[in-house]
Amino acid sequence: MGLKVYGHRMSQPARAVYIFCKMNGIEFEEISVNFFTKKTASPVFQEINPMKQVPAIVHGTFKLFESHAILRYLACAFPGVPDHWYPADLQKRAKIDSVLDWHHLNLRHGALRLVQAVALAPKLGRQPNPQVAIEAEKLLSESLEKIETFWLQGSGPFLLGNSEPSIADLSLVCEIMQLEVLDDKDIDRILGPHKKVQQWMEDTKTATKPHFEEIHGVLFEVKAELQKQRLLGANNA
Amino acid sequence: MTLKIYADRMSQPSRAVLIFCKVNGITFEEIKLDLARRQQRSSEYKEINPLRQVPTIVDGRFKLFESHAILRYISCAFPGVADHWYPSDLFKRAKIESVLDWHHSNLRRGAVAYILNSTLAPALGLQKNPQAAAEGEKILSSSLEQIESIWLKGNGRFLLGSSKPSIADLSLVCELMQLQVVDEKDRDRILGPHKKVEQWIEDTKQATMPHFDEVHTVLFKLKAKLQEQRLSEANNKIESSKNTTLPSKM
Repeated sequence: MGLKVYGHRMSQPARAVYIFCKMNGIEFEEISVNFFTKKTASPVFQEINPMKQVPAIVHGTFKLFESHAILRYLACAFPGVPDHWYPADLQKRAKIDSVLDWHHLNLRHGALRLVQAVALAPKLGRQPNPQVAIEAEKLLSESLEKIETFWLQGSGPFLLGNSEPSIADLSLVCEIMQLEVLDDKDIDRILGPHKKVQQWMEDTKTATKPHFEEIHGVLFEVKAELQKQRLLGANNA
Repeated sequence: MTLKIYADRMSQPSRAVLIFCKVNGITFEEIKLDLARRQQRSSEYKEINPLRQVPTIVDGRFKLFESHAILRYISCAFPGVADHWYPSDLFKRAKIESVLDWHHSNLRRGAVAYILNSTLAPALGLQKNPQAAAEGEKILSSSLEQIESIWLKGNGRFLLGSSKPSIADLSLVCELMQLQVVDEKDRDRILGPHKKVEQWIEDTKQATMPHFDEVHTVLFKLKAKLQEQRLSEANNKIESSKNTTLPSKM
């Protein structure tokens, strides 16, 4: 039964799904759907996901979207996935679900809106929105502080004090990686105060090598392109 | 070792957890926190949940928050919960996960922003914000349209075409019940175009009676109080406009 993953490497939840599959030797066909050019709104893609979002998967005849739901499903549906990604133990699993649920309206709501309001606005055909950027950065910083002081409590290098990464580590780190498209001084201001967060990101990258770097290649290309534009803009000014 | 639930019945996710336990005959102790009085900021509660959200459960020494995670956990941890609430079948379960994850950034985000900024802000010591209310309403309305046309597709009366409710039905319907506190004409404008959604709310209520109404009593009381306030404000306006127009006629 073949697995198709509809995604885009500029989408942080799509990257999490790609990296997860590669880490666990799950074979899949990668189908790129560019949301910048509104390919997610095409009638063909709406047959796959009527919500017009990536990632979405088709596994045999089974269709599914929402990245956390996809990661949970893949962890259970493919027999070779090590238990630490989404433990069968009820209480360990519940704690990971708690992080994943928290993610949506905290870390993601802050990081996504900030990045879209500042760096990616032109690519999305929108005007940069400084007011939204201020609100979003506030929520993002509060969320990073909660990861630093609460979710990263404990002896292990990963969320919830675990010694090995779960789907929550992968999902949240891919979210924070999106900040790479911001100006370096903004990244430093936002991430700088959170040393444990920085170390945890490094640990998650290392634990998912070489796939992490490979899947993030496109993001680094966009980062370089935007940096060049900022430099040109500064020189012109 | 009784399950403890820290909750405020004015919080929609708290209500979902309370109703779920009652419907499934799970014995628990309800510990009430009043968010309007900022009781979640107390140092005692910080020990229970450092992120200071409700609901939170304590099951023995195990603490858990985020209502979806709680509903999943209770479904699995307590024998006797009927399978339809959170099916063990991988495919059925994954679809319910998809609805639950979608809920956060869509229905919940829209409904909370709209209701807070149009209605509840003063009760929480905040200013109403018409701009934020309008943005919230837009997300809320498009979420309702997606429930109507996508999630409620199929033969059954519940989400994903199921014939019986899941934790997703309960969670989303409790979210929508919060609209009871807004002005009736606004509620009609928002819910009115979505007949299937209205029927599904009714069906979910029926499937969880009498606990649904009992747990929502506090919300209905607040609704009545806010309606009275709106009425008296409207009357005052009429009175004051009479007072200001009369002298000009003299």
